[in-house]
Amino acid sequence: MTTTPKKPKKLSMKARYSALTRDLDWEPSYVEFEKLYPHVTYEGIKIHDWSKWEDPFRLTVDAYYKYQAEKDKRLYSVLDGFAQGQGHLTLSEAKYLNAMKIFLGGVTPLEYQAHRHFAYLSRHFAGPGPRFAALCQSIDEMRHCQTEIHTLSNYNKYYSGFHNFTTQHDRVWYLSVPKSYFDDALSAGPFEFLIAIGFSFEFLLTNLLFVPFMSAASFNGDLPTMTFGFSAQSDESRHMTLGLEAIKFLLEQDEDNVPIVQEWVDKWFWRGYRVAAIVAQMLDYMLPRPVMSWKEAFELYFERQMLDGLFPDLAYYGIKPPRFVQQAIDEKEILSHAVYWVFYNFSFAANFTTTIPTEEHQAWLKQAYPDTFEKYYQPRWDRAKEIADDGGRFFFGGLPQLCQVCQIPMTFPEPGDPTTICQRNSEYNGENYNFCSDGCQWIFDREPEKYIQAWLPVHQIYQGNCGGPSVPEVLAWYGIAEGDNGEYEGSLDHVNWTRWHAQQADITGAHPDAQDAAVDAAAVKEA
Amino acid sequence: MAVKALGSYDFPSRSRQELYGDDMLVHVWWKDNPMFCAAATFRAPTAMTWADFKAQMIDPWAGSDPAYDPAFAFAWGYDGGDFAPDEAKTLAELGVGHKHTISMAAPRT
Repeated sequence: MTTTPKKPKKLSMKARYSALTRDLDWEPSYVEFEKLYPHVTYEGIKIHDWSKWEDPFRLTVDAYYKYQAEKDKRLYSVLDGFAQGQGHLTLSEAKYLNAMKIFLGGVTPLEYQAHRHFAYLSRHFAGPGPRFAALCQSIDEMRHCQTEIHTLSNYNKYYSGFHNFTTQHDRVWYLSVPKSYFDDALSAGPFEFLIAIGFSFEFLLTNLLFVPFMSAASFNGDLPTMTFGFSAQSDESRHMTLGLEAIKFLLEQDEDNVPIVQEWVDKWFWRGYRVAAIVAQMLDYMLPRPVMSWKEAFELYFERQMLDGLFPDLAYYGIKPPRFVQQAIDEKEILSHAVYWVFYNFSFAANFTTTIPTEEHQAWLKQAYPDTFEKYYQPRWDRAKEIADDGGRFFFGGLPQLCQVCQIPMTFPEPGDPTTICQRNSEYNGENYNFCSDGCQWIFDREPEKYIQAWLPVHQIYQGNCGGPSVPEVLAWYGIAEGDNGEYEGSLDHVNWTRWHAQQADITGAHPDAQDAAVDAAAVKEA
Repeated sequence: MAVKALGSYDFPSRSRQELYGDDMLVHVWWKDNPMFCAAATFRAPTAMTWADFKAQMIDPWAGSDPAYDPAFAFAWGYDGGDFAPDEAKTLAELGVGHKHTISMAAPRT
C-alpha cells in the first residue's frame, strides 16, 4: 500500500496571526530590557504582562494588503472617471471646496505624522501585540495620506488654494491648530500618544471629524472624497477598536495607571475638541448644501455614542468623563458661529475664501440654532452686509491674540455668556500667558515647560520669522497666491465657476465666453 | 506638575520679551464690538507714548470697522481692572507689560 505524503496543514487565520506576532518576539539575552525599550517606563505607566494585549482584528500582512489593494483599485477608478467626465462641474458650488482646502492642509499632513509616529511605536512598545497593531496603523496612515492627496489633487487643476498644502501646514496661522495638536502628541511618551491619537482622536472624535466630511462630500457632489472616505472608514473603525483596546489594556494592567490615564483623557479630549471646532464651522457654514448641523452631530456622535455609550463602560475601571466636557456641551450652540466668524475676519490670510451666508443659508442656521443664531450672530452678518453694500469688505485689519495652547484666536465666549470673550491668563517664570478657556489654561498649568515653547504664528510674525512685517510678505512666505484668499464673491474660483457653467448652458456657442472655453481647455491640456 | 521626560527638560519661552528687543507684545480687546472676533496683538516699543500707540496702532486696526470713531471716549481697562492712560506717558510708565491685555468699551451709563 502506498501512502501519499501529507499536505502541509494550512494554519488558521488566528494561528497565522499568532505566528506572525507572538513568535516574532523574544526575550533579550545580551541587552538589558530597559535599553531595548527605553521609552516604556518614564511616563509612570506600569505594564506587567504585555501578552494581555488582545488585537481584536488579527489581520495578517498578506490579508491586509489584499484588502487595501481592492479598496485602492475602487478609489482610483472613481478618481479617473470623475476626472475624465469633468466631474468637478457637478459639485454643488465652487465654494464647497473651501472645506476641502482646509481638509487637505489641516488633516492630510496629520495622517503622515500619524504614520511616522505609529512606526516609532511599532519599534518601541515592549509587547508584540501592540507593536504589530501599531505597524498596521502606520501603514494605514500612509495610505490615507496618499489617497487624500490623489483625491484632492484633481481639484488643484481647476481651483485655487490647493497648491501648497505641505508648506502651509507648517506655516499658516490656522493650520498651526491641528499641527500643534500633533506636535504635542508626538513629543509625548508612547502611552500618552496612544491615548492622544489612538483613543481621543480616533475614538472620541473620529466620527465627529470624518463622518461629517464624508456625508458633506456626498451631499455636495464630491464623489472622489466620498469614495476615499469609505475607503478609509474601514481602517478608521479598526483604529477606533485599537484605541479602545489600548485604554482598557492600560487600565487593566495596574491600578496606578488609572489617574495617569484620566489626566490624559482630560487633556486630549479638550485638545481634540478644540481642533474639531474647524469641522464645526465647515459643517454649518462651508457647505452650499448643509448635511447636519454641528449641534446635531455633536449630540449624536459625542453625547449619545461617547458619553452615554462608552463612558459608563469605562466607569468600571474608575475613569470619569473628561474634565471640561460640560463646557464643550454648552458650547455646541455657539461653536461653529464663533469659528466661521474668525475665518470671515481673517480669510485674507488663508488659502480659502469666505463669504456672507446667503439668506437661505441663514434661514437654515436659524432653524438649526433657534436659541443663538438670530440673537447673537445674525446681527454680525447684517452689519457685514451693510459694509459690503457700501462697497467694502469687513476684515480684521491686524493680527489676533492667540491661545497659548490650542493656538486658535481667542474668540470663544465665557461659559454661559455668548456676548463676552473668555480670557484667562497664567504667569510662569515671570511671563504672562493667555488662554481661550479653562480647559486650555488647565492644560498649560499642568505642563507649562512644554507650552511655553509653542510656535504661535502671530508672535513668530512679530519676531520677523515669517517673511517680513507686512501682510503681502507674510502671504508670500505662506505660499498663498492671488486668488487663493479673501472674499468668495468675485474670487477667481467664483468667476471661473460662473463662466464654466455659462459655457455649458450656451449650446449655440454664441456666448462670448465660448472663445475662452477653448483657450481654457487647451491650457488645461498643456498643464 | 512637571513634564515627564527621558532627560532634563528645560527650554526657554519662544515668545519671551528679549526676542522683541526694546519692544513688547500688547493685546487690545474691543470688548463691546463683536465684529472683531478676538483681541488684536501689536508689537509696540515699551517707550512709545500712549498717544502714539493709540494713533499708530489702535486707530488703524479699529478703523477696520467703518463705524469706529477715534475721538470716542472709551472706557479703558487693563487685565480686567480699570485703566486711565495718560497720553504723554509711555507704555512702560503706564505699567503695560509684555503679552498683557488692554481693553476698550463704551463707558457704562
